[in-house]
Amino acid sequence: MTPLSSSILLVGESGVGKTHYGAQLLRRLMKGDDLLRMDGAATNVEPFEAALESLNDGRAAGHTAMATYVDSVWPVVDAQGRRAELIWPDYGGEQIKTIIESRRVPAAWQTRIHTAGAWLLLIRLQQTRIGDDIFSKPLRDLRGASMDNQEVHPSDQARLVELLQMFLFAGGLTGLTDRMPRLGVLLTCWDEATFFGTPKEALDARLPLVSAFVHSVWQCPLIMGLSALERPLSPTARDMDYVAQGPEHFGYVIASDGTRSNDLTAPIHAMLGTFA
Amino acid sequence: MNKCTRETCFVPDTGCDLGHAVLSKCPVWCGTARADAPTDDLSDEVLLPWSGSALGLADLGFVSGRARPLVIGVVGAQNAGKTTLLGAWYLLLGRGLADLGDRRFAGSYSLSGWEAVAGAMRWPPGHAPRFPPHTTSRGGRAPGMLHIALRDEDHGRLVDYLFTDAPGEWFQKWAVNTDSQEGVGARWISDYADAFLVVADREALSGEAMGSARGSLQLLARRLSSELRERPVALVWTKADVEIAPAMDTAVRKAVFDVMPNAAEFSVSVVSESEGDPAVNKGTGLVDLLRWAVDVRRPTVHLPSPTAASKDLLFVYGSRPK
Repeated sequence: MTPLSSSILLVGESGVGKTHYGAQLLRRLMKGDDLLRMDGAATNVEPFEAALESLNDGRAAGHTAMATYVDSVWPVVDAQGRRAELIWPDYGGEQIKTIIESRRVPAAWQTRIHTAGAWLLLIRLQQTRIGDDIFSKPLRDLRGASMDNQEVHPSDQARLVELLQMFLFAGGLTGLTDRMPRLGVLLTCWDEATFFGTPKEALDARLPLVSAFVHSVWQCPLIMGLSALERPLSPTARDMDYVAQGPEHFGYVIASDGTRSNDLTAPIHAMLGTFA
Repeated sequence: MNKCTRETCFVPDTGCDLGHAVLSKCPVWCGTARADAPTDDLSDEVLLPWSGSALGLADLGFVSGRARPLVIGVVGAQNAGKTTLLGAWYLLLGRGLADLGDRRFAGSYSLSGWEAVAGAMRWPPGHAPRFPPHTTSRGGRAPGMLHIALRDEDHGRLVDYLFTDAPGEWFQKWAVNTDSQEGVGARWISDYADAFLVVADREALSGEAMGSARGSLQLLARRLSSELRERPVALVWTKADVEIAPAMDTAVRKAVFDVMPNAAEFSVSVVSESEGDPAVNKGTGLVDLLRWAVDVRRPTVHLPSPTAASKDLLFVYGSRPK
């Protein structure tokens, strides 16, 4: 049995805000004032360059192009000298989409799943929701209303659970508990979720099926909230506060106990703590 | 060779049913494939052994890997609401409203199957929800099965459940003739289910054809009772919001409880009894019924407690009751 490696794999569908978080995190890591700092040089931060530029201008970054397929590996270290590697495999989130749709896990992903000691799953609550159904919005009389078979789009919750199940299978981890990678769930764009409570309560309330799955498969998943930008930015109009103060003054995280801090490296640091 | 020789394995359409994430590690696949397919592009990606759709007989091997799943047979006439019952449970689980005591959802290998039965009851943009379409009767030796795994909180035991989703026609054929060719799927359920839900459709029992609905339910109850072998059974009144004549109610109860006196009884409906906050609407009786179904356990063997006074296991083993 190989010991868990200290690499943290970042996983998220497209549109959850991975690039924004990456750009903001990169700036903090380089500055080195926070819980974590960069330990050496990241392999490739090209995909985050454009986002950094946009944020400096007070604008939101555009969608990350699908062509960028190279892993970006960031070595990080904390004040106690604990080291970890952050792996950004898929900036655009397109690969995750393809995995879910084709139900095939490419070899590159299998290696990543095998070698990572922790998975950090990014979920944007505003983009994953439970739609209305017969219970939440009952019709007085549905009787006799039955329809022909039509295409069913899987719900967001089913998609996320299936993705995790696929990863567990591809990693040969189904049903095992002793060598499970640690799991962190990062609820992104916390500012737009307008939820008062801990991130765990938010996940319970907004995605109950995912929450139940995560809690029954992992012993103690870390559930945290993140607002990488602190306020919505437009891709075209400039936010003058951003331009004047610099993007490093914006963004906050909500720790699993509900406390808010401005240290964007805190979620990664908390994941590092689970390796001990 | 582009196919696996195992009958229950559908490589390359789905993954290896023996659970080998990398095909090149499967002895069966290598044994047959090595000769004429030295390198193929399949080997570098992981295929999944489950398609997500409702499970058939061939898929059972994969989900029964950790233990034999508990099979809950949903039995009843066509259009009685069997599929709706399953879809409603899935929606309630998805909303976090299905309170299963100290158990929690721990995965499913038929998520697309659940989505398909529940999908009709959602509000897609521009459409009103409906009840699920009629479950088509095909020839088949076994019903489609929906899988769900539940785990006790504090990381206790993981239990797999399979709920059957079979067309009502099967049961009608089977009730008339247990060896009926069209009813083999119903026979399968009767042979292998660990518990049964007998669905009584209040709408049919109050409608135009109420006489024949009563008749076929009586037949079905009698057939089931003769093959029950003391397994748990529940009488489920679906569409509980529909009124039926008291005489009809008595007749159906009598038909069921006379032959299966230990049967439990539930009334369910997607319509809630009380007007409340729609966000927490659970319908009527659905969660209670699900709890009953997941509480089903197989009869266990009771081992006599050892009578020996010795603490040494060797001597305990050999001793006889005095």
